Amino acid sequence: MRAHPIRRTVLTCVATVSVTTLALALKPHSQPVTAGPQAPRSSQSPSVPGGTGSGTGSGSATGQRTLTGETVQTRYGPVQVEITVDGAKITAARAVKTPSGDRRSQDIASSSVPTLVQETLDAQSARIDTVSGATFTSEGYMTSLQSALDQARG
Amino acid sequence: MTTTHSPPPLRHRAPRPARRHSPAVPLLAAAGAGGAAVLALWWQGTGVVSGADGWLTGAGRILGLMCGYMCALLVALMARVPLLEKGLGSDRTARWHASAGRWTVGLLLGHIILITLGYAAQSRTDPVSELGTIVLDYPEMLKGTAGAAVLALVGFVSARAVRRRMRYETWYYLHVLTYAAIFLAFGHQLALGADFAGGAAARAAWYALYLGVATLVLWFRVLVPVRLNVRHRLRVEAVVREAPGVTSVWVSGRRLEALGAKPGQFFRWRFLTPGMWGASHPYSLSAVPRGGFLRITVKALGDHSASVAGLTQGTRVWAEGPYGALTAGLRRSRRVLLLAGGTGITPLRTLFETLPAAPGDLTLLYRARTAEELALRGELESIAAGRGARLVYVLNDADGGRRDVTADGLRRMLPDIAAHDVYLCGPHGLALASYDALREAGVPASRVHYESFEL
Repeated sequence: MRAHPIRRTVLTCVATVSVTTLALALKPHSQPVTAGPQAPRSSQSPSVPGGTGSGTGSGSATGQRTLTGETVQTRYGPVQVEITVDGAKITAARAVKTPSGDRRSQDIASSSVPTLVQETLDAQSARIDTVSGATFTSEGYMTSLQSALDQARG
Repeated sequence: MTTTHSPPPLRHRAPRPARRHSPAVPLLAAAGAGGAAVLALWWQGTGVVSGADGWLTGAGRILGLMCGYMCALLVALMARVPLLEKGLGSDRTARWHASAGRWTVGLLLGHIILITLGYAAQSRTDPVSELGTIVLDYPEMLKGTAGAAVLALVGFVSARAVRRRMRYETWYYLHVLTYAAIFLAFGHQLALGADFAGGAAARAAWYALYLGVATLVLWFRVLVPVRLNVRHRLRVEAVVREAPGVTSVWVSGRRLEALGAKPGQFFRWRFLTPGMWGASHPYSLSAVPRGGFLRITVKALGDHSASVAGLTQGTRVWAEGPYGALTAGLRRSRRVLLLAGGTGITPLRTLFETLPAAPGDLTLLYRARTAEELALRGELESIAAGRGARLVYVLNDADGGRRDVTADGLRRMLPDIAAHDVYLCGPHGLALASYDALREAGVPASRVHYESFEL
């Protein structure tokens, strides 16, 4: 019958903050080396052999080729990556499809894709970091990028 | 009183009424399990939490999900579900609603702040313009913002200090807006909630939660009362003055025994006259329903209770109930003390008449300022005489000095008070003081049964 409002308020706040922090703390805090089809090959990353232009690739046989990765469905929408390779080097990357169903997804895509592209050019592989706040877009990007690289390898 | 006679042999003793178990623990466990399920929903839909923005949005999402879950529970608590109103007690249900409401408004504010800061950190903008973007550009967020504003307003006017300064009706109708707020906020949860974007099962569970609560409200707040009032057709039969400012209203109706009202319970009454139909008020039955009549006894404390004295015969009455857990089912011991203050006498008056007890096992202590203010005095005395029960008045001294209910006084009156069940009903201050005195006199907390509508 005797209520202790202050004690109860403090307890509730402490409990809410602790449970929330604990739940967040228990989650992984960096992107693990991306699992999936590209994992076994991940040791020999930037091997993009020159030669035959396969799949959706185009361009001259020896010089620049443009390769389009598969479309990856994320929970917010499709992601598809297109890369340009010159011999073994990735010279350009673009996201031709990104989630655009709502304004939030558009914002996330427009802020994360430049980072992902820069990371691709720096790493010359699909082993790049997830952009924080754009986990799903990043993962879709990496998968699509890997499939484009797989085509390049033939 | 000197009750020297020994208790009757065991096999002659009246069978104890089945002890009712409070549903509080199972209900809290169920609510907690639901909260854990909501957290699991977030857990399952979340991959990596990285960077300050990841932590901020992650925390914001957890708080948002919990807030959405709590909104459903808040409405369910006020849906007049019999398990809550009669099992837990209407007063305790209302207190749960108030505490849960305070927490929910806290979650709401936390959700808004953390999501704004998180999104701002993600897109490297300042939080103020990010908030503008969220409100104006994201789908369903204009509605969501309106919903949040109403919920925050309702939370504000429910704060004790503000509520005291408001008319009850204003406060009540602002509260009704909560339904609209929750409806408005529902859209953004599904449109933007990351945890609902992927899983059809999660969306289905969320819909089930909200539709389930809506069904409870429709059933117990609308259909059940309509059925009751169509069936029983209640009308004011007579208005009787009991004491200064204290009035009894006799209400007639058809097949009143089918209402199933137990001694100690109350109805919410709405008198259909100009100026009174807008609000319903809880008043306990002050007599056992019999002979086709119900009776309530009301003390003039506010606008509504004061105008009860002016009701005329034939006025139609809209009632909802019976509600309340202060009934014989709570009792655990052979001996019972009923402790009433002021109009708290009304539910205890019916228990005084009906609680099974041998002569000498039942005591009613009635606290009032003056002998004149003792309502229902004549019938209390005839009940006491008829069943050999004790009736004790505690009045202020002739010079106006307060007489408090103290542990010593209680022990002097009933040396074995620690072996009693105590039913306590009265104004909040008196009830609190009496509770402390009872505990000091050795009555276990689980044996003190009280009803108080103070939040």
